[in-house]
Amino acid sequence: MRKWSLRLVWRQMDVQIRIRTLNWYTLLIFILQPAIFSGVGILLSRAAGNPVPNLVYTVIGGGIMGMWSGLVFTSTFDITRDRRDGTLELIVGSPTSLGMVEAIRTFTNVVAGLFSLGAAFLVAMLVFHYSLVGIDYVGALVSLFLIMFAMWCIGVFLANFIAWSRLTGAVADLLEIPVAVLCGFMYPVSVLPGWMQAISAFIPIRWALQALDASLLGNSSPTLLLQNWTFAVLLSLLFWALSRWLEGKVHDRIRITGELNSI
Amino acid sequence: MDSFAIEVRSLNKTFTTKQGFWNRKTKTTVAVEDISFCVERGELFGLLGPNGAGKTTTVKMLSTLLLPTSGSATVLGLDVTRDTHKVRQRIGFTFGGARGLYGRLTALDNLRYFAELYGLEPSVSSRRIPELLELVGLTGRGDDRVETYSSGMQQRLHLARALLHDPELIFLDEPTVGIDPVGARELRSMVKNLVAMGKTILLTTHYMAEAEELCDRIAIIKKGRIVALDTPVALKQHISGDAVIEVQIKNESAALVLECLHALGGQVSIQVIETPPLQSISIRTAEPGVVMEKLAPFLNPQLIQGLEVRNQTLEDVYVAIIQGDKA
Repeated sequence: MRKWSLRLVWRQMDVQIRIRTLNWYTLLIFILQPAIFSGVGILLSRAAGNPVPNLVYTVIGGGIMGMWSGLVFTSTFDITRDRRDGTLELIVGSPTSLGMVEAIRTFTNVVAGLFSLGAAFLVAMLVFHYSLVGIDYVGALVSLFLIMFAMWCIGVFLANFIAWSRLTGAVADLLEIPVAVLCGFMYPVSVLPGWMQAISAFIPIRWALQALDASLLGNSSPTLLLQNWTFAVLLSLLFWALSRWLEGKVHDRIRITGELNSI
Repeated sequence: MDSFAIEVRSLNKTFTTKQGFWNRKTKTTVAVEDISFCVERGELFGLLGPNGAGKTTTVKMLSTLLLPTSGSATVLGLDVTRDTHKVRQRIGFTFGGARGLYGRLTALDNLRYFAELYGLEPSVSSRRIPELLELVGLTGRGDDRVETYSSGMQQRLHLARALLHDPELIFLDEPTVGIDPVGARELRSMVKNLVAMGKTILLTTHYMAEAEELCDRIAIIKKGRIVALDTPVALKQHISGDAVIEVQIKNESAALVLECLHALGGQVSIQVIETPPLQSISIRTAEPGVVMEKLAPFLNPQLIQGLEVRNQTLEDVYVAIIQGDKA
């Protein structure tokens, strides 16, 4: 099987960016959607009696929401498009595994999601005069990296799940809001009922995001960060392992059902 | 080295689908049933059959895109189910139609991308891509977006993509479908060049003239089963000595003529195509003289608008086999 190489990564990213991301409508997902979430978050915060919006849970949370939505939508759309355009069977029929192609595409989608977060930070600083003073920069950067890693692992799992059958795309779309709710993109997870917190404990994004929020608020302790990062890494690796297992199953199943080129 | 490029033994493919929402029912479709054939290295082998006969399913099994339900197949000596990745490195394939390319990318970008998926070194792909664009007559159009290409140009680009890694064996599934006659002729010429270069080709088509012009041997597939396999010449002899008499007759006289012809019983095989206000009657027979005698009373321009006696073509053989009377 074709081994991965930086050249393959670059070529796949180049194709992905040009056919998918460099498209005004896709960019809207990454920019307009987080803006809407942030706006709604600010309105709700004001309605709750807070004169100043909580910037971590509204503005930055909106940015994270944009990253996540962009990932879910693009992962779903990429496979559906490849099925529709007949390119899925060309990829599967090549010496490069579909799993590798999906891994690179998902990486591209996660990186593209930084548009959302970057825009959210700009709004936080320029509109709401959010100060970067007192932030734990190292903690924030490591946490952001782990959010991206967690999203990548979940994204690769979703991509394989969507490749499994032409009908599974709807389920993947359905996960968008529940994951956002469970991970506390726009509020602390502690406000959720106990059973929801228990479910969210299995989602690595929750732990990495918790560490990011603490780092941005400047109230992180090394123990707390380390604990959150460890959970984030272990759960991400669990999703990655599940993806690898699913990848083999998908490769066989789509060749049994013949769902490589039908939508 | 194995003498055969493709060896297929009792290959079967069945698709099982679930239908209904509450009361789920399983529907089984047999796409390919117990087919066996071999293709020599350097041969251009044709797989002919009507839509839904199982041609594409066969090609997809041989190109590792579908898993057979049972049976075995080797491609270049490699098992298509066990040696999947090795097979993929050594074969190329195209499927007919406009799908299978990234329309928003240029031809060059498409080729560079697939070259990467096939692991071509940049030094190789930078030499190979212009050569292939020249081979398929797309030199100078490489920087154009594929969505601006005509069907014929897209089909030629498909061929270039399939040849990127210089495969020994190429599967061409209906390569001329949807292409105008000039484009189809150009593509056939390219296919001939590939054979001259020593490539083995498995071609599926339902254009008889194309199969007759290109193929060394032809397998006719019907409802998932191979019902005839031979050279085009031998297939035509399969219904030996038969001639075809084609008559265009006015609707009102057709019943009378047909009654007369049916009186000949097994001596004739009749196919009627309604083309109002006429009916086209195609009569295949080993005794054209007898048929002409029967038709003589009707040889009046008021009744018969056209009449042609000709030798049997591959299309006649194909129609006869597919209609089941000679299979």
